[in-house]
Formats: sequence, structure tokens, C-alpha cells
Amino acid sequence: MAYLDIEHLHFQYSSKRMVLKDINLSINKGEWIAILGHNGSGKSTLAKLIVGLLSPKEGSIIIEGQKLSDETVYDIRKKIGIVFQNPDNQFVGVTVRDDIAFGMENLQIPATEMLEKIDFYAQKVGMEQFLDKEPSQLSGGQKQRIAIAGILAMQTDIIIFDEATSMLDPGSRAELMEYIKELHREGLTIIMITHDIEEALFADRMIILKSGEIYQDCEISVALRHPEWFEEAYLELPTAMRIYYDLRQDGETYQELEEYLWEFSLKK
Amino acid sequence: MKNIIIGQYIPGTGFLYKLDPRTKIIAVLILMVAVFLLKSITQLMIAFGIAIIILIIGKISIVRVARGLKPIFILLVFTFVFQIFFNKEGTVWVDETLTFSLVSLIVLVAWTIVWRLLTKLKKFKMMLFFLYIAGVYLILRYLTYGTIFSTFNFVVHEKGVEMSIFVVIRLLIIITLSTVLTLTTKPTDLTQGIEKLMRPLKYIGISSDDFALIISISLRYIPTILDEANKIMLAQASRGADIAEGKLKDKIKQIISLLVPMFIIAFKRSEDLADAMESRNFVPGRERTRIYDLHFGLLDLMVALMTIGLLTGSIMARVLWIG
Repeated sequence: MAYLDIEHLHFQYSSKRMVLKDINLSINKGEWIAILGHNGSGKSTLAKLIVGLLSPKEGSIIIEGQKLSDETVYDIRKKIGIVFQNPDNQFVGVTVRDDIAFGMENLQIPATEMLEKIDFYAQKVGMEQFLDKEPSQLSGGQKQRIAIAGILAMQTDIIIFDEATSMLDPGSRAELMEYIKELHREGLTIIMITHDIEEALFADRMIILKSGEIYQDCEISVALRHPEWFEEAYLELPTAMRIYYDLRQDGETYQELEEYLWEFSLKK
Repeated sequence: MKNIIIGQYIPGTGFLYKLDPRTKIIAVLILMVAVFLLKSITQLMIAFGIAIIILIIGKISIVRVARGLKPIFILLVFTFVFQIFFNKEGTVWVDETLTFSLVSLIVLVAWTIVWRLLTKLKKFKMMLFFLYIAGVYLILRYLTYGTIFSTFNFVVHEKGVEMSIFVVIRLLIIITLSTVLTLTTKPTDLTQGIEKLMRPLKYIGISSDDFALIISISLRYIPTILDEANKIMLAQASRGADIAEGKLKDKIKQIISLLVPMFIIAFKRSEDLADAMESRNFVPGRERTRIYDLHFGLLDLMVALMTIGLLTGSIMARVLWIG
């Protein structure tokens, strides 16, 4: 049995069309999953369902053999942390230290233990110099790193990144990706929700959502052989990949490709 | 707008920084009561002296506290003037006739324009204000030439002066005390102090924990929301709407067009924040541990005893009518 199982999950907001239709998914411990989807494909809704912020219309979510319900939601939340998109809207504390502490305070961890953990995890995300700073003095990337520290301090098994890098500048984005890789190496299960194919390539497995349904669920290497899947799911290929596939279309072998490029440059 | 620091807290090392916030909050409240019990200027002057001594021992810059008084300067002037004009007890000290004549009014207008231009200099604003008031008095008193429109009797009574000084000093002491509290206590400590002090309220169904969380989240979001307001104003200004320009009616319209998007954004934010808090195991009303533990130490005891001493002193002064 996988660590997290989603079976026949359906969801709809009141009186609107079905947002998620018959989602079946299982995620193993230590896996890095990328959930890709266009705007409105239901990917963020799926994240909220997994942490119990929304409850499914039909179907079930089972984590370590425990079915998510009103009774078990508080136990299950101890196992899952989520980093949201907007760095400003998830910073609860008045200072960095307060914010890292927030989750632990809710878990009723004693003060001395909390202070130790805050120092440890702040160092881990490279924010130990900033513990007394207020959120308005921090950049978006720094706030996201603090959100990660807050989740690590709660010692969850899974971290969900719900478009956590989409509001950051390229530098902070690359930095955050490095931290995520590090966490994965240490054995955390990572679910990354994104519409950025380039980001999804770091994962082990890719799930493409299209209009609320699972369109593809496969290894990254398999997905790379099918660029048409991304276009079908209304996702934009990164420039480098687009050039690669376009060139492949014109020349099947490397030799043909080379000739084609020569011709192209001579015509100019 | 990026570096707004909420509260007036300034890091320091004096004894006031080492006190438990609860001690400080209660001491300030008690001292305020003590100040209100005082009845004469001499007593108030002694209290003012004590406040200054507290500042000096606490290594707090008096200039800094004085700067904190700036926003209420108008209130102080208003109280002072109000008392001088409307208190008609005791012997008459000043009884002058002020004249509104053609010449004095023209000079008055010119003087006002000069004053307005001078205030552009920013520095010495307060001094200029007093200079202006003195000028107005001199103009109305001595320039009695030309057609006289009306006259006005400017009468100052002994009690009026006394009361105005009394009220102003009392206000000064109270504001100094509260400034000392906010200068030496971090907003987080202050909230926690209030939270602990409100604990007993849970017996009547008010959760001090939730209350403290509300305060700290509000504090945390003030800079964010101000930043947002700034962005919206810039966005609107870039499309030709300017809050600083136009008639009052236009300005009100502008403010509405600022408030509506701000409310929408604030609601969206609060929804996101609620999700973030819930996903981090927050359950309203459930017991939480805290990272900071407050403890009442020897220093706190000493300050508490001194505060009680001062309160007793002021009660004695009132009952026995000393000074």
C-alpha cells in the first residue's frame, strides 16, 4: 500500500461544474511528484483536499492507512505541510521566529524545545540571521524559505508546494528549488503543484491534470518523449524544449539535423 | 513603505527593558490613576520630576520621548487655549481690548501668508507657530488704525492660567508614561502581556488567546495593507486619478475607489491566511504553547512596590492636601 492513496475522488464547489473528476492517485514515501496543469485544471483544489481544507464530494483520501475525515483531519495534518503561492498571505507571525514557531505552538510543543528547533531549522534554510526581522523587511523568497522552516519544524512526512515559486524572481526561484532538492534527498515526500514544465522536470513522476481529470501519470523520462501531451493539456513548453522538438521534426537523425542547420545558416 | 516598523519600540539596555510586560502595563495604569489623583500644580511638578527621573534611570533619550509628543501637540495647544479662554475664576490678570480694524485685518492676512510660507522650511515649525500667535496678538492689540469693525475683550483670569498649566502638565506626564511603555516593549511582548492579563476573562467566555492572536495578526498585516494601498494609488494615479488633487467631492470619490479594491484584497488575503493557519494545525480555541515565557522577577517586584508607593503617596497628597 502506498503512503498516500487517492481513490475515485470527485469535487465540486457549490452549484458549479465538477472541478475534479474521478482522481485516482497513489504516492509512495520519499517520492517527488509534480502535478502539472493549466489554470483552472483543479490542481490547487487537489492540494487543499489532501490537507483537508476542503472535503471531497465523493471518493476518499487515505494517508498511511488512515482515511481523511472530520475526525482524522487533525492527525493527518501533522503529517502534511503545505507551502502556498503568496508568500505574504501565509506569514502568520509578527517576526520570523514567531512564524516558525506558529505550527509548533499549535502542536503544543514545550517552549525550550521550540527555541532549539527554530534555531536548527532557520539555519537549515539559511535564515538564522533574520530571526528577529519582520515580514516587511524580507523578500518573497526569504518568506517562502521561512514557510518551509515552519513546516520542517513540525516534522511532517510530506510537503506540498502549491505554486510556491510562481511569485518569486528567477534567482529566488532557483534557490528555492535547491532547497526542495535537498529536502527530497533527505527522504521527504514532495508534491509539487505547478504549471511550469521546467520545474516539474526535477520530479520523479509527473501527473498532468486536464480540466479536472488525470490526463497522464508517468515517469518524467516517458513524458519527455511526448511533447504533444503538454500541448494537449494547454501547457506551454519551455523555449529550450520547444526548439529541441521543432528541430527534431525537421531532421530525424543528428546528421540530418546538422545539415539542416548548415543550410539554414547559409541561406541567411 | 517597505520598512515600516510597527510600534515605537527601540532596542535598548535600560532596566525598563528587563521588566515583564505585565509589570509595565499595570505600573503604567496605576501611575496614570495616581497622576489623576493629584490636585495642585506643585504636586504635578513633583510627579513630572519623577517621570523624568524614570526616563534618566531607564536610559531613555528625553528627545525621543519629546518627539513622541509631537502628534498630540495640537491637542495640548487646544487644551491650553480652551482653559485660558473659558475659565473665569480668580483675579483678573490680563484685560486687553483687541481691535479688528481695516489696517489690523490687512496686516493680519499678510502675516498669515508670511507664516504659511515660512512653515515650508519644515524646521522650527513649533517656534514659528508661537511666533505667529504672538504676532496675531500684537497686531490686534496695537494696530487700531482705519475703520474699526469690532472689538473684543481678551480677559485672562488667574485660575484660567493655573488650570491650563495643570491640565497640560497632566497630559504630558500621562503621554510620557505610555510612550515609555511602547518604547521599551516589543509589540509581541505587549500583546502577550495583555493576553496573560486578560486570562481571567475566560470565565466570562472571552478567550484571551484568540484576542492576542487577533492583535498580533493585525499588527503584522498593517505594513502589508499599507503597501497594497500604495500600489493601488499608484495604479490609479497612472491612469490619471490623483488623490491629492481635486475638490473635496472628488477626493471622497477617490477614497471610495481606493477602499473597494482594498477590501476585496484584504478578504482574499484573510481567506488565504485562514487556509495557511489551518494547514499548520491551528484549531480555534484549542490550547497552544508559546515560545516566550514571561517571568516575574526581583526587578519586577521592586518596580511593583515602588509603583504602589507612588500611588500611596498621591493618595496621601490628596487626602492630606499637602502642597
